[in-house]
Amino acid sequence: MNEVMLAVVIILGTFLIYHLALKIHERWNHPFTAPVLIATAIIIIILVIFHIPYKTYMLGGKWIDELLGPAVVALAYPLYQHRDTLRTLTGPILVGTSFGAILGISTGLLLAKWAGFNSSIIYSLTPKSVTTPVAMAVTETLGGVMSLSAVFVMIAGIGGVLMHTYVLRLFRIDHYLGRGVGMGSASHAIGTATSMESSKLEGAISTIAMVVSAIVVSVITPGLVLILM
Amino acid sequence: MVKLGKIAVHICLLYLIFLLGNWIEHTLGLFIPGSVIGMLILFLLLITNIIQVSWIAEGANFIVKNLAFFFIPVTVGVLNYYQLFSGKGFLLIIIVLISTIFVMAGSGIVSQWLVRRKEYKHE
Repeated sequence: MNEVMLAVVIILGTFLIYHLALKIHERWNHPFTAPVLIATAIIIIILVIFHIPYKTYMLGGKWIDELLGPAVVALAYPLYQHRDTLRTLTGPILVGTSFGAILGISTGLLLAKWAGFNSSIIYSLTPKSVTTPVAMAVTETLGGVMSLSAVFVMIAGIGGVLMHTYVLRLFRIDHYLGRGVGMGSASHAIGTATSMESSKLEGAISTIAMVVSAIVVSVITPGLVLILM
Repeated sequence: MVKLGKIAVHICLLYLIFLLGNWIEHTLGLFIPGSVIGMLILFLLLITNIIQVSWIAEGANFIVKNLAFFFIPVTVGVLNYYQLFSGKGFLLIIIVLISTIFVMAGSGIVSQWLVRRKEYKHE
């Protein structure tokens, strides 16, 4: 089989597995059935069973990667859709997300540094609170490992959703704005999906927080890393 | 079919904005990823009505709805690092979880405090 055919098979296969993962998530709605987690697990199992190297998989995978850039650009659209909410609540959303971003970057970096991990792992962990394509771009700029950053993002997303009831209750965050900003800032799209379930308004705030924190984190991370490393 | 064509054209436009963002990143030597610069540019062009929302809506919606699909190949790459999460690497999971609590609590408390103060003033 030549490389073009192989690439097409890999792209179609990945798409089919992604759809299967969506169906599984629809059927059993739980943070642990997040489509990216299920799809990644299925593909890894297939690669391991059939002894297919990651390099071979990436013959097709690199074409999907190609759309990560435009995918980040596309996040302007949900932000635009919620522009009126953003306008009326600019202060609380902006200050809250920025505060969370600074906390997330510095606690992640300092804890990992303190535990003695090397810099490429620390750089992969630092942007974990933001949506995967942005976290990967930030990691790339810093010189970390993109695949690792994707995993840390997944842990922040799934972990955040599993812990959110306790965290929000413990810190008495019961206003829809505080909840939405907290979920979107800490757990990106997975957190936003959970916010959507509690109310449309909280979901909108969470969407805004997710996109705004992606911007804030990518702007302040290089500087903060320089200070803290 | 028409819808599929629309999505393809919209994604091409998004791709052009991404390239513009990349160009700005490299020309100005910025540390902000080109894709994020592209996102800011698109947002500004949308609110100033220079780009009509109908020029990108279907494509952007398709991508945002299926965002996870686009980073699956990179995520699969973790199979080259499986040994990291055994032993000491387990600590990394704990670190991410602790840091996530900080972000959720910190951003939530601050934004809630600010909005309650704002609501109080209005009453």
